[in-house]
Amino acid sequence: MRAGAFGSIVLAIIGLLLHAGTAGAQGGDAAAGKSVYEKKCALCHGDKGDGKGAAADLLVPKPRDFTTGVYKIRTTASKAPTDQDLFKIITDGMPGTSMPPWAVLPERDRWNLVAYIKTFAAEKFKEAPKKLELPKEVASSPESLKRGKEMFEAIECHKCHGTDGRADGPSRPELKDEWGTPIAPANLTKAWTFRGGASRTDVATRLANGILGTPMPTFLDSVEKPEDIWHVTNYVLSLGPGTVKYATLVTVTAVSDAIPDDPNAELWKTIAPSHIPLMGQVIVDPRNFNPSIDMVSVRAVYNDKEIAFHLTWDDPTQSVEDAAKKTFADAISLQFPPKITADTERPYFLMGDASDAAYLLRWVGGTGVGEATANGPTKIAPIAGGEATGKAVWANGQYRLVMRRPLDGKAGTRPTFQPAVFASVAFQAWDGGAGETGTKMSLTSWYYLRLEEPQSNRRFVLPPLVAVLTLAAMVLVVRVASRPRAK
Amino acid sequence: MRKIFGIFVVLTLVAGTVLFAGGPARVGAQGGGTIEATVTYAGAPVVEKLKVNKDTEKCGTEALIEKVVVGAGKGLANAVVSVAGAKGPSTAKKASVDQKGCKFTPHVVAMTAGELEIKNSDDILHNVHTYSTANPSINKAQPKFKKTMTEKFEKPEIIKLTCDVHSWMLGWIAVMPHPFFGVTDGNGAAKIENVPPGKQTVEVWHETLGKATKEVEVKAGQTTKVAIEMKK
Repeated sequence: MRAGAFGSIVLAIIGLLLHAGTAGAQGGDAAAGKSVYEKKCALCHGDKGDGKGAAADLLVPKPRDFTTGVYKIRTTASKAPTDQDLFKIITDGMPGTSMPPWAVLPERDRWNLVAYIKTFAAEKFKEAPKKLELPKEVASSPESLKRGKEMFEAIECHKCHGTDGRADGPSRPELKDEWGTPIAPANLTKAWTFRGGASRTDVATRLANGILGTPMPTFLDSVEKPEDIWHVTNYVLSLGPGTVKYATLVTVTAVSDAIPDDPNAELWKTIAPSHIPLMGQVIVDPRNFNPSIDMVSVRAVYNDKEIAFHLTWDDPTQSVEDAAKKTFADAISLQFPPKITADTERPYFLMGDASDAAYLLRWVGGTGVGEATANGPTKIAPIAGGEATGKAVWANGQYRLVMRRPLDGKAGTRPTFQPAVFASVAFQAWDGGAGETGTKMSLTSWYYLRLEEPQSNRRFVLPPLVAVLTLAAMVLVVRVASRPRAK
Repeated sequence: MRKIFGIFVVLTLVAGTVLFAGGPARVGAQGGGTIEATVTYAGAPVVEKLKVNKDTEKCGTEALIEKVVVGAGKGLANAVVSVAGAKGPSTAKKASVDQKGCKFTPHVVAMTAGELEIKNSDDILHNVHTYSTANPSINKAQPKFKKTMTEKFEKPEIIKLTCDVHSWMLGWIAVMPHPFFGVTDGNGAAKIENVPPGKQTVEVWHETLGKATKEVEVKAGQTTKVAIEMKK
């Protein structure tokens, strides 16, 4: 009897919980959503939901204008997204944009927000959403990837997304959204920046359904066979690593041979890269709120004479200074303190200041590799008698660069690199084709760099020697012990 | 008696069919007039040029964005001439637009509500991107192997047609509420047939120069000429 009553109470509680869950999913309270919206969303999306909040001018892509009722990310065959689609974007944010994930808000608030933002274009949500039916899923396999590549080429994804998927296609400079704002295609090698998520279903849905308001068209009926949607999806996801793990330390590997200048040389493929995230420079004017270069991958080696850095970064256009086209030279620099010792006080990370200079090892498109002293981002002076050399190549939206110089800085303004001493390093990059020059750059704060200690040949000599000596000692002990005792 | 009834039924059916199938269009066919419109523009042609950086084998090396095309005698091409406020059925002929040489041909396709055939004769990717409010807007990829697709436009509206792959490509789909329309040729001439007799308003729409109207008197079996000058 008591057990029965207990059971029904448990059932009732479960029922209540379930009910609460579905109630949330079905309909938030728009009035309650309004107050959350005004606190959390209006700054970018505007009080009226028209995407004209105070911060909107600084953002690329622009905040959504909810009054249009047009949403990029949807899983429906009809024009309006489902409540779940909107909830997902609020919860997860939109990677690669200014829209952060709002999972910190209580779930109830997020459903209320869904209800409220729909009121800005209520007539667009009148019809019940129709779910998009994707073709039967095909798992990734070598055959699927082969077919995916074939179809990727046949449907000409490269026109916008580039041959290797790095957003460097020939149509890139012409692309505009439906409101006339320039818009960049997705860099398909960086799945972690995909606006609507990077799961296989997310990617297949974007490909099949297009992205409303943007140049990305629907491909559901525009592939040769329905399952090609999945083959292309599998291929797209094979173009990059899927996720990225950012480094905090750059390790410089010791090598015994000469270091090649060629960025495509075999040696570089054997060195694991450290991925460093870059941010826009927003401290001094003119600022760069929407930087083009968001990551540089660093490989570094040294031998008994030289240290060399191999840098890889995506840049959709190879550009040099050209006043007519309003482009500038692409450039990148590694920044170090002028002296590397265990207790060095580092100069100001933004290229030093008037009293403490920073040392730059840099490459500038059309000029090449050089060394410079900086007393702030606008006071850069090349170092006379610099010894740095190197070579850059650009292909399919990506730069690969080798810069090398002697370990010994010969005192003065150039640091000397020594094994096992932690050095500070920072990075700055400019995409001249996107109008970046001077203080309009991407940069990092200070990171650490360490030359690993050279592995000497003693490890091949000492352990065997110790082993032999130990064996000899043991034999000796056994001999002594087993000798008949003298009377 | 039965025979007479039979004849009556047949006659009623025939008459009914004629009346039903007829409507204003049929009235026009029997007793309508023809409007020959000439649209002129005194200003200079507006043509923007763009250097092409891709598909040059198909698109050529220079793309022309023709916003105002003026022919012989200041004739304005690509203007939609129609009888304002008229009513009538859809035309049976399916309208068609082709993407050829990275241009929409014709530049302006006028049609009554229904299906539009969209061809891709270029053997490269285009995407058919429409800007509409009354009809659902579309943005569909048309890769090289998809030679034809058909789209429905149910509501009267003038719709901008673009291709994002080739940003200079621009076309217009004029979905008309009746069959009394024409698009001006290179000399600014357009002909509308079977127009119901009486006082009519001829309306001109041009993508850059906007709208203009003129009243005309249409007489059955006769051709009415009308000249309309577009101003900026």
